[in-house]
Amino acid sequence: MPGANGKQQPRSVRDIGRRSERLAHVAVEELMPLPAPYDVSEDFPGIAPLKDETRARYGASATLDDTLAAGIPQPATEEDERKIVEAFLSGLRKLFSRENNWTFLQPLVLSMEHCARCQTCAADCPVFEASGRNELYRPTFRAEVLRRLYFRHVKPGGAWYNTFHSSGLELTYDLVARLFELAYRCTLCRRCAQSCPIGVDNGLITHDLRKLFSQELGWAPKELHNKGTVQQLTLGSSTGMNKLVVKDNIEFIDEDMSERLGWEVKTPWDVQGADMLVIENAGEFLAWPENHGCTAAILNGAGLSWTMSSEIAGYDGVNYGLFYDDVQLARVATRHFRIAKQLGVKKIVMGECGHEHKALGVIADRVGLDLVPRESLLTLVRDIVYSGAINVDPSRNDFPVTLHDPCNIVRNMGIVQPQRDVLRKICPQFREMTPHGIRNYCCGGGSGFAIMSPNNFEQWRNLISSRKKFAQILGAFADTELNDPEQKKYVCAPCSNCKGAIRDMLDFYGAKEKSGIYYGGLVELVVNAMAGAAEPILDWEMM
Amino acid sequence: MSLFHIVIYGSLLIFIVAILARAARIMRMPLHLRWELQPVPHERPGASTFERVDWWTHSRDRSRFGELSIMIPEILLLKGVWEHNRGLWFASWTLHFGLYLLIGAMVVILLHAVLLVAGVLADAFVPVVLAAVTRPLAIAGGALGTVGAIAMLIRRITEPGMRRYATAGHFVNLAHLGAIYVTALLWALLDGGFVAETATLYAGVLTAAPLPSLPLIGYLNVAIVLLFFIYLPFTHMTHFFTKYFTYHMVRWEDTPNTAGGRLEEKIRRNVSQPVSWAAAHVGANGKKTWLDLVADTGEVKRETEEA
Ligand code: SF4
Ligand code: SF4
Repeated sequence: MPGANGKQQPRSVRDIGRRSERLAHVAVEELMPLPAPYDVSEDFPGIAPLKDETRARYGASATLDDTLAAGIPQPATEEDERKIVEAFLSGLRKLFSRENNWTFLQPLVLSMEHCARCQTCAADCPVFEASGRNELYRPTFRAEVLRRLYFRHVKPGGAWYNTFHSSGLELTYDLVARLFELAYRCTLCRRCAQSCPIGVDNGLITHDLRKLFSQELGWAPKELHNKGTVQQLTLGSSTGMNKLVVKDNIEFIDEDMSERLGWEVKTPWDVQGADMLVIENAGEFLAWPENHGCTAAILNGAGLSWTMSSEIAGYDGVNYGLFYDDVQLARVATRHFRIAKQLGVKKIVMGECGHEHKALGVIADRVGLDLVPRESLLTLVRDIVYSGAINVDPSRNDFPVTLHDPCNIVRNMGIVQPQRDVLRKICPQFREMTPHGIRNYCCGGGSGFAIMSPNNFEQWRNLISSRKKFAQILGAFADTELNDPEQKKYVCAPCSNCKGAIRDMLDFYGAKEKSGIYYGGLVELVVNAMAGAAEPILDWEMM
Repeated sequence: MSLFHIVIYGSLLIFIVAILARAARIMRMPLHLRWELQPVPHERPGASTFERVDWWTHSRDRSRFGELSIMIPEILLLKGVWEHNRGLWFASWTLHFGLYLLIGAMVVILLHAVLLVAGVLADAFVPVVLAAVTRPLAIAGGALGTVGAIAMLIRRITEPGMRRYATAGHFVNLAHLGAIYVTALLWALLDGGFVAETATLYAGVLTAAPLPSLPLIGYLNVAIVLLFFIYLPFTHMTHFFTKYFTYHMVRWEDTPNTAGGRLEEKIRRNVSQPVSWAAAHVGANGKKTWLDLVADTGEVKRETEEA
């Protein structure tokens, strides 16, 4: 729908329910500009159109914008459409009931009923800003759709009064299908919530929308559900690795690390009564194996009593339930707690995975009663590095390093300083991004986006949701030679999902080739600085 | 007791009951999962809970001062809007601060009325001081608020984002607030008897004594204010007090669930409720509780299958 300035964007909230070919489109010239050498729009042609077959199959859900993150096949008949609308309405009512949504009812109602529509949140949303302020991505757009439906269909009170506040938004099948897609255009980074003067949380609203779709209609992206929590709870890991495969992989990683360091690194398995159970994101073992190798090297080097678990889900800290489904979230967390109890450990240490931190460290605190204390690996590593238990030589890390703050670890948990303390000690050229700490920008891969790439969604992510972070990374290295790929620069991202998104954005923009920008975790830098190691852990050729 | 009395008492009663009911409704909602958001000001800066190894073995030092140092600039100066949406700040601050000043004037009038009822002579020191500040406060509040209401109206119409999300309700609220400010300003500015009339009016309300007659603008102001009292509790403008909940019960609510701690009973109640979500993977049947559902993480079934 062409709106102001010829942009294709919704003109009003009501447009979401009105049938049209496409609600919004972001042309490459409308995107937030990037500095040279990334400012040439011909190098980045924009989001490729969805295939005709995809459009035909997914119907209304493929008419939101340029991409399709999950999509729902178009119902065959109007009767089928009507049934979906009814199911949505039933889910909407459950979302505001004490029994079904005790998990978030209070914050959700507070956010539904008190927004002043002042738009203070808008300027702080990286997706909205990077898209060139396309109305579809404004934090309040999807929130307002849910709000108006709530006032009209759920909130007790006079029909007249509630209509007065809902401005005539019609609940149609197209609205439901598009709203499902729209719930996957926000990274749940909660930066907007930080700036809301009233305390309204548009990130939470998106989260609960996703939940409604998953828990009532069974709609969720396959990467999060079928291949995510379901696979984790049945096979053991969302990567698909069962315990034999994972043990094999870890053995190989340990051997490789031992060789590179020149001393033995060994991962203990299923040690009854160990002090701590270490649970990492199992994606690391496949995509960034050195991350586990370095974690093991540090824990061994400090002489700590630790173990990993080969039980189902015990070796995979991911919990995609955090992004779309409270029941699945609680199941994965329950599993983690049960394993820790069985091993009799004193605590669970959460590896470099942001959403594991948030899901297990904070949210899971109230999903049941049989808990085990959890702590962050970042905090533990800081204490190890400063205790002198391992010997570090900062001159081995003498290249520009900047730090990405994973939203879940920093904005949501307040773990801000430990990773900085470590970098200050071991990286002489450490520099901050602007802004950083609790006001960081999301990597663009938050809320599951990093592992979702159906259709052309990866292009959407790289061009829009990761764009602000990419600009920040360039800004952090602005004092270096951005045109010199030989000058190596390192983005430290202590989170698996963030690393995935950063890997993709650096590839997409060709930042390694153009500017020599590489990425990795925190523990890799620590081990790279370990005095006496046979060879450096950071192998620029292989990164 | 006159009809005027009844209207005033009725409006105040509706206001108080509706506000209390709203607060009670929010407070009675179940304990939710943790959803705190930084900054959490009662934490020690530079050493938040999770930044310590074995954090559960340390006592949680909570600083009330930290919370106040955020709340006071937020309430008085709208610091958040200043930092994140400067273009809106002038309209928003004048609109809000005008109201604070008018509420301040009402408190002063109330004190004045209490002293009159208590038999303190009108020319005693305190009533004289109170009388002296009433009119300037009301004029300043009315003027600032009028400017704020006009500025906010302009902003809501001209700023595309605000215009797109405005409902009819926003304009009604704004018109209502504007009418309060304008009538308060005119009454305080033009009526020489403003201080005495308002103090006597409040005293009459406190004691159910006969109420003074007011100039037309006075009646208009009182009528609009009373209507506002009735209407306010049903609008998003209740954020003036629900903001307390969004901050203290959500953003800053980080109480850990410890064994035998004060949250346990609430959590037990939550997880013992039956769930009725319809998606197949949830496995709900309206009878199984949350605890039943999440305890089934699939491994029992798998072990049987493997065997
Ligand atoms: S969410 Fe908050 S900042 Fe955004 S429009 Fe609503 S009240 Fe304003
Ligand atoms: S949570 Fe993040 S991505 Fe989502 S609307 Fe808010 S600022 Fe934007």
